[in-house]
Amino acid sequence: MTALDTRVPDQALGTLPRPVRRVAVARSPRTWLKGGGLGNLVFMLPMLLIFGVFSWSPIVQAIVMSFQKTNLVTPATFVGFDNFVHVFQDPQFLTAVVNTGYFAVLALLFGYPIPLVVAVLMSEVRRLKGLFSVLAYLPVVVPPVVAVLLWKFFYDASPTGVFNTILDWVGIAPQPWIQSAATAMPSLVLEATWAGAGGTIIIYLAALSAVAPELYDAAEMDGAGIWKKIWHVTLPQLRGILLVTFILQIIGTAQVFLEPFLFTDGGPVNSTLSVLLLIYRYAFQSSLGGNYGAATALSVLLALVLAILSLVYFRMTRSWSDN
Amino acid sequence: MKSPGRITALAVAMLAGVGMLSACSSGDSGSKDGKVTLVVASLIPGSDAAAFEAFGARVKQFEKKYPNITIRSNEYQWTASNFTAELAGGTLPDVFNVPFTDSKALLQAGQLANITDEVKALPYGDKFNDKVLNVAQDDKGDIYGLPYGPYAMGLSYNRALFTEAGLDPDKPPTTWDEVRADAKTISEKVPGVAGYMQMTTDATGGWVLTTASYARGGRLETVKDGKYTVTADNSATKDALQYLHDLRWEDNSMGSNFLFGWSDINQAFGAGQIAMYPSGSDVLTSLVQSDNVDPKDYGITTLPLVGTNAGALSGGNVAVVNPKANRATQEAAVKWIDFYYISKLIDKNQAQADAKVLAKSNQPVGVPTLPLFDQATYDQNQDWIKDEVNIPLSNVKPFTSKIFDTNIVPEPARHTQDLYKALDTVVQAVLTDENADIDALLKGVNKQVQALIDADAK
Amino acid sequence: MSKADQALDRGVVSAYEWKRKRVRLPLSFTHLLLLILLVVVGLLPLLWLGKAAITPTQDTLRMPMAIFPHGVDWENLATAWNTVGIGTQFVNTLWVALGSWLVQLVVATTGGYALSVLRPRYGRLVNALVLGTLFVPSVVLLVPLYLTILHPPLVGHSLINTFWAVWLPAGASAFNVLLVTRFFDNLPREIFEAARTDGAGSFRLFWSVVLPMSKPILGVVSVFAIINAWKDYLWPMLVLKDKAIQPLSVRLPEIQSQTQLDVYLAGLAISILIPVALFLVFQGMFLRGGGLDGAVKG
Repeated sequence: MTALDTRVPDQALGTLPRPVRRVAVARSPRTWLKGGGLGNLVFMLPMLLIFGVFSWSPIVQAIVMSFQKTNLVTPATFVGFDNFVHVFQDPQFLTAVVNTGYFAVLALLFGYPIPLVVAVLMSEVRRLKGLFSVLAYLPVVVPPVVAVLLWKFFYDASPTGVFNTILDWVGIAPQPWIQSAATAMPSLVLEATWAGAGGTIIIYLAALSAVAPELYDAAEMDGAGIWKKIWHVTLPQLRGILLVTFILQIIGTAQVFLEPFLFTDGGPVNSTLSVLLLIYRYAFQSSLGGNYGAATALSVLLALVLAILSLVYFRMTRSWSDN
Repeated sequence: MKSPGRITALAVAMLAGVGMLSACSSGDSGSKDGKVTLVVASLIPGSDAAAFEAFGARVKQFEKKYPNITIRSNEYQWTASNFTAELAGGTLPDVFNVPFTDSKALLQAGQLANITDEVKALPYGDKFNDKVLNVAQDDKGDIYGLPYGPYAMGLSYNRALFTEAGLDPDKPPTTWDEVRADAKTISEKVPGVAGYMQMTTDATGGWVLTTASYARGGRLETVKDGKYTVTADNSATKDALQYLHDLRWEDNSMGSNFLFGWSDINQAFGAGQIAMYPSGSDVLTSLVQSDNVDPKDYGITTLPLVGTNAGALSGGNVAVVNPKANRATQEAAVKWIDFYYISKLIDKNQAQADAKVLAKSNQPVGVPTLPLFDQATYDQNQDWIKDEVNIPLSNVKPFTSKIFDTNIVPEPARHTQDLYKALDTVVQAVLTDENADIDALLKGVNKQVQALIDADAK
Repeated sequence: MSKADQALDRGVVSAYEWKRKRVRLPLSFTHLLLLILLVVVGLLPLLWLGKAAITPTQDTLRMPMAIFPHGVDWENLATAWNTVGIGTQFVNTLWVALGSWLVQLVVATTGGYALSVLRPRYGRLVNALVLGTLFVPSVVLLVPLYLTILHPPLVGHSLINTFWAVWLPAGASAFNVLLVTRFFDNLPREIFEAARTDGAGSFRLFWSVVLPMSKPILGVVSVFAIINAWKDYLWPMLVLKDKAIQPLSVRLPEIQSQTQLDVYLAGLAISILIPVALFLVFQGMFLRGGGLDGAVKG
């Protein structure tokens, strides 16, 4: 609580005595108006309106709709947990969950350590540091849709496809890439990593440059070599940011939509069907009208899972960061 | 000190801003003082300039005939996935098209306008082939759309690739074994080309698999006493899938890419990457408009038929009217449907006007379709436009000479798109997994789609 | 840089270690490898796209890695821009970015100002509600937001196929509000009090005092806003159906199957020009913004 919590405007203007108590003070509209209430409201208004209509209201609506059967023509009817049951019983649901988990795990394996290693290396660069940063960040600047469409072409599975041609240079047989259930998801992860690693690298770079040099000096005085310094100084100092990027990556990959949608539309054989894509299918891909109840039910489920995951994660990591 | 006046002024400005939103255009179509603006579906996105030119010419002819109707057009392509978003979003034009498979379900859900009176007023209102008109009618016989452009499935092939591989383009394969042999020859002789391919995604996989099943005498849905049963695991479908398996894994004549929707496969065909594929008989129009195909290099023949129950899958589109349009707009809509889609089949002047316009912009004239009314009308129509036909008729003769003697079979009637989507997965599995269990996959489809059909009955 | 500064400005490897051959050689070599890797991975795909954009289709299909075996085809660019109409969508993307940016700026600055400086009594509640939305994944909003756009309050008709359908929801960014609020929190209160004593009302304070001091954070918010608007796909795809109003990200996948490959790749190349150019010119802001993003979350 700082001094700013007091009613500065009133004091400065001296138009009315400052309320003595801060709670349960009966104020007339006139008091409110003179006290700057209208001004406050006007400034709050854009945020209140926009959030109200386009954020808070839809969130509530989503929860309500997940318990309803809606088809936009007839009024919605309450169906209790039917939508949730329908989702759980849908074989596509299990597939989507497994696929999304697979994507998240692969993305962590590829996309979590690599930016860290690259960032640590880059932080030691003495000349042309800017060049390194620009090159690393360049794929991030490319609009994701363009990146996917470009890589879709690269992934042409015929022997004259771009990547297959390159593989041929080193004597590797042409790969099916997105044309086979076994290699489709890893192909998606590869492109997603390419497109996203740069952002993470830059974040790590910033965090690395914030590490106090005295810590390294101290470690050296204890005789630590480079590896020891990284292990005992760099990584612990980065712990906060590492924990945050970890959970953010999980939350982000759990909602992957663009790659499965544009590369393969969930195929082949639903091997790249993600949870988000399934929600989209429920709502927008049935030619006779969407199943909005199932779509909102699944989104609510996903949100719940992510919320619980985040809570558990923060509880767990709080003890780590405190050390 | 604050000036309430200033604050109030700001507040008013913001409210005015909100008010501005309300003032934005309240829709493009509608009627005023007897003048009607009609928003119609034109061509599929990405069609070339010449095609749009031809369309524009027809629009002008229409507007001349009906001076109080103005036409605005939107690109439009019906795909199983896009349609529902547009339906919900209210972004459909006043006149658009849906396939035969969906028109009944949509009209029963109130998504199509009832145009019975306007249709009855047309000169040929009662001349329609009943079976064909039925897809656009409800149980009472009210009409909700006009079918047009019925087609049968055939086997499109690239004559140039045939020649390059040493095969005779005037003698396309007539049995499935011959198809297989030709595919193998082409893929061996011409590197980088898939000898045979078929669609696999966005419900078209199931559509073509159903076609292949019909050609072998099988049926995907049977009906008895009004109850529909899904029979995806019939022997014809199994044979069709086994055939794909053999071409893919034994002959390696299907190339390396297997995710093809309707536009994708047309594009690959147009780029010379696929030599043969099952397609609608009227696909040449799209191939010319969107994929740069030269009709001289295009050929089409009937799919090989095996057994007594064999038939060619037929489908078509229904021109329908948006139920949200007002009365005057709906009347104008039916006039447009009559002019653009139907009149050229039954009125000599319109037929020739349409053909001339197409020919002028180098759009194909004479693309094979099926009769909308009856054989006699169809023949007469072909006669009227014969001067403008600009595709080598001999190229389509393998199809046109046989199709009218072929048993025409309509698509499965219940949850067709859902059935097709389920079958997509099966086709993809067979093409990407050498050990795919065809029986198990088809049984799974039975179960999945039967559940949907049974749920309707409740 | 003076020796003293050098000593301070160090990373893991100390100045002493740099001098030792055992450290310097492998490390420099690794850096060289890394540079080559970054060039190959980060730059070459884009250069390839540039090359393919002016190469005829058959060459790209048959010999994708060859460089202009049959000459250059500049026509692709013109065809993409005019015939396929990429030019229109390019302009649309600009409009989308502009409008989204404005809406976000207005919402974040006014909201942040209200929450941080004005602090009305219900401010705490609003703050909690706004921050709460950070924890709700955007997927939850997809369907109901779509229905809201179909039947928006007050307006009376659907906002589908209008830019408003993209602009307005973009404003509901709790992240922006958070950034701005924290920034305002860190502004020296004395200046506000001085302005108040001089008789400035809330509006004057906002316009003449707070905003001019906020240029750094406005820069960051703007960069994020524009990048996000340029990248957005799913939402514009749902609500902007008319090709005349679609941005590039929505239009390009739609025409993929109907466009010749060489023209199509030219279209892709055109669509990355502006983001890449903006990035190269304003590198500092992008790279610092990315870091700030991390620092704020950390």
